[in-house]
Amino acid sequence: MKGGSPIITFVALLTKELRLRLRRERTIWVIIIYLLVMGLLGFIFISESGSYNAYTLSILGRELYTLLASVQLFLITFITPAFTSTAINGEKERQTFDLLLSSQLSSFALIAGKLVAGLANALLLIAASAPLFSLVFFFGGVGPAQVLSALLVFVVTAILVGTFGLFCSTLLKRPPVSTAIAYMFCVIWVLFPWLLSLLLAVTGSFSGPWPSSLLFISNPILALISTFTFYGTFSLPAIYPFFGIYVASWISYTVINLLVSVVFILLSMWLVKPDPIGRLSRLMEKRLAKNKTTATV
Amino acid sequence: MIKIQHVSKRYRKVDALKDFNLEIPPGAIYGLIGPNGAGKTTLIRILAALLTPTTGQVWFDNEEVSQAPGLIQRKVGYMPDFFGVYPDLTAVEYLEFYAGIHAISGKKRANTIKDLLELVDLSSKGETPVETLSRGMKQRLCLARALVHDPEVLLLDEPASGLDPRARVELRELLRTLQGMGKTIIISSHILLELAEMCSDIAIMQEGRLIVAGDVEQVSRRLGGGRQLEIRVLERVPETVQLLKDMPSISDVLSENGNLLQAEFTGDDRALHDVLAQLIGHEIPVVSFAPRGSGGRLEEVFMSIMEGRSLEMHSSLPAPQAGLPTLPQGTSPKAQEE
Repeated sequence: MKGGSPIITFVALLTKELRLRLRRERTIWVIIIYLLVMGLLGFIFISESGSYNAYTLSILGRELYTLLASVQLFLITFITPAFTSTAINGEKERQTFDLLLSSQLSSFALIAGKLVAGLANALLLIAASAPLFSLVFFFGGVGPAQVLSALLVFVVTAILVGTFGLFCSTLLKRPPVSTAIAYMFCVIWVLFPWLLSLLLAVTGSFSGPWPSSLLFISNPILALISTFTFYGTFSLPAIYPFFGIYVASWISYTVINLLVSVVFILLSMWLVKPDPIGRLSRLMEKRLAKNKTTATV
Repeated sequence: MIKIQHVSKRYRKVDALKDFNLEIPPGAIYGLIGPNGAGKTTLIRILAALLTPTTGQVWFDNEEVSQAPGLIQRKVGYMPDFFGVYPDLTAVEYLEFYAGIHAISGKKRANTIKDLLELVDLSSKGETPVETLSRGMKQRLCLARALVHDPEVLLLDEPASGLDPRARVELRELLRTLQGMGKTIIISSHILLELAEMCSDIAIMQEGRLIVAGDVEQVSRRLGGGRQLEIRVLERVPETVQLLKDMPSISDVLSENGNLLQAEFTGDDRALHDVLAQLIGHEIPVVSFAPRGSGGRLEEVFMSIMEGRSLEMHSSLPAPQAGLPTLPQGTSPKAQEE
C-alpha cells in the first residue's frame, strides 16, 4: 500500500474528475437531450390518451410511469458505459497515467475515484429526471415503494455497467475498443436471455413458459418489471428462491449485480497497477515455492 | 544515495537494460546520456517504480525498493518526456490535484502551490488554463508538479527536448536552484552538450549497457577528452609551445593562430595552476590564460561511441560491477601512458 491518506487522495481525484467532466459542454447536452427525450415521450403519451375520468387517471399514471421507467432503464444502460469505459485508458492516451501511478494514489482510490465520478454523471441523469417522475404521483396509481425499488434497479444497473466499463478501460489499451466492448456487453446482457428464450420457444425446445429462472436472474428488464407490482402476478419468473428465501427478482438482481460489480472493481484494481501479468506470475511462483517448502517439511 | 545493482529489463525478446550498475551520490545532477534505444527511459521508469526490473535491485538510502512499497512515491518526483496535462484545468487546479494525490491537504497545499509557482516563475499564470501556456511554461509547470511533495530525488526524462534556447537556460538555472536546495536530480538526454552544461555527473549508455560513468571532468579525462586551454602570449611563441609540450598535463598543442595557442589539458585544477606557474616561472609574457569546457571534445568522443567506432574497444573492458564502472582506457595516448 502507498503511504498517502486514501481519503485525501480519493477526494482530490474525484474533485479533478468532476471539474473536468462538468466543464465539458457535452455533459450539459447529455442532460438536456436526456430530459427532452423522456419529457417528449411522456407528453406524447399523455396527449394521445384522450379523455379520462378519476378511475382511468390512475391507470394513465401507471402506464406513464411504466413508460418513463422503461425509457430511463434503457438510457441508463446505454449512457453509463460512456462515462467509465475510457476512464483509465483515456489517462494513458493523454499520457497522464504514469503521473497518477507515481503519486501516493492507491489502486483502490484510483478505481473508486474514477468509478464514483463516472457514476455521478449517471446519478445526475437519474436525479434530473426526478421532476418528470413526480408527475406520476399527480396522476396516482403508483406507490412510493414501487418508485424506490425501481430507483434501486436504476442505480444498480448504473453500477454494474459502470464497473464493467471501468474494467474494460483497465484491460484494453484503446478507448474506442473498450467503449465498443462495454456497449456489446450491455446489449448481450440485456437482450440475450430474451432472445434465447424466444429461440427456444420457437424451436419448442422447452415445455414450460420459461426455460429457466436463472437465465433472467441478472436481467435488468425483468428486475424492473418485478417492481411494477400494480399489474398483479406475471407469468414471468418475478420471484426467485434466493438462499432459501423467495424474493422479488429486483432484490436478487440487486444482490447478484452488486457482487459482480465488486468482482469487476477488484479485477480493475489488479489490472491498474504496473505490470499485472508479472505480478501474477511472481505471486504464483511464490505460492509454488511455499507449497514445495511445506511439502518438503 | 541511489544504488542500481545488476539491473536488467527484458521486453519479450529485447533487452532494454543489461546488467546495469550505477551509484548516484546525493545532491548530484546526474545525466543519463545515450541515443534512442539506449535504455535511458527504461532506467528512469524503473527508478520511478513504473517498471519492475527483470533482474537486479534498486536501493534508495539502504532500502531496497521492492521491499518498501510507497517509498519511491514519497521520495521521488517524476517528470516524463511528455507534458501530461489536463487542458481544462488552470495551473493552480492542476497543482492542487497533484498535491491532493500526494496526500497534501489544507493550508499546506495552498502554501506549497504558491511557493512552487513562484519557484518556476508562473505566479502570474495561476488562473490561466494549462492549455494556453507556452511549451516552456508547461515544462516548468510539470517540474513544479514533480516537486509538489518535496521529493528528495527528481527524475527528469528529456526535460529540455523541444524547448527554445531561452527556456533551456531557464530550465538549467532552475535545476541549479533545486540542486542548491539539496535535491538529487537525474536527467536523461540524447544531447550531450545539454547535459555537460548542467550536470555534475554523467553516465553514457548504449544498447542497454553502461559505457562510462562519473563526474563530468573525470569522464572527460578518462575518455581522453580533457579540457582545452587557450593561451595568448605577447611573444616567444615557439618556446611556449615547446614548454607546453613538455608538461605532463598537456597532451597536445592543438593549434597556433598567431599568438593564440590551443592546448589539450588532461589534469585537475592543481595541474592547471602548475601550467600557469611554469609559464610565469619561465617569464613567458602571458596575456590571457583561459581553460575551456570539455563539452566539445566530449561530444566528439561521445559521437564516436554512438556511431559504434569505439564500442568494440569499450566492450573489451571488464564488465562494470556495482558502483562506478571501470572506465575505458586507451582512448588517448596520455591515458595509456598513465
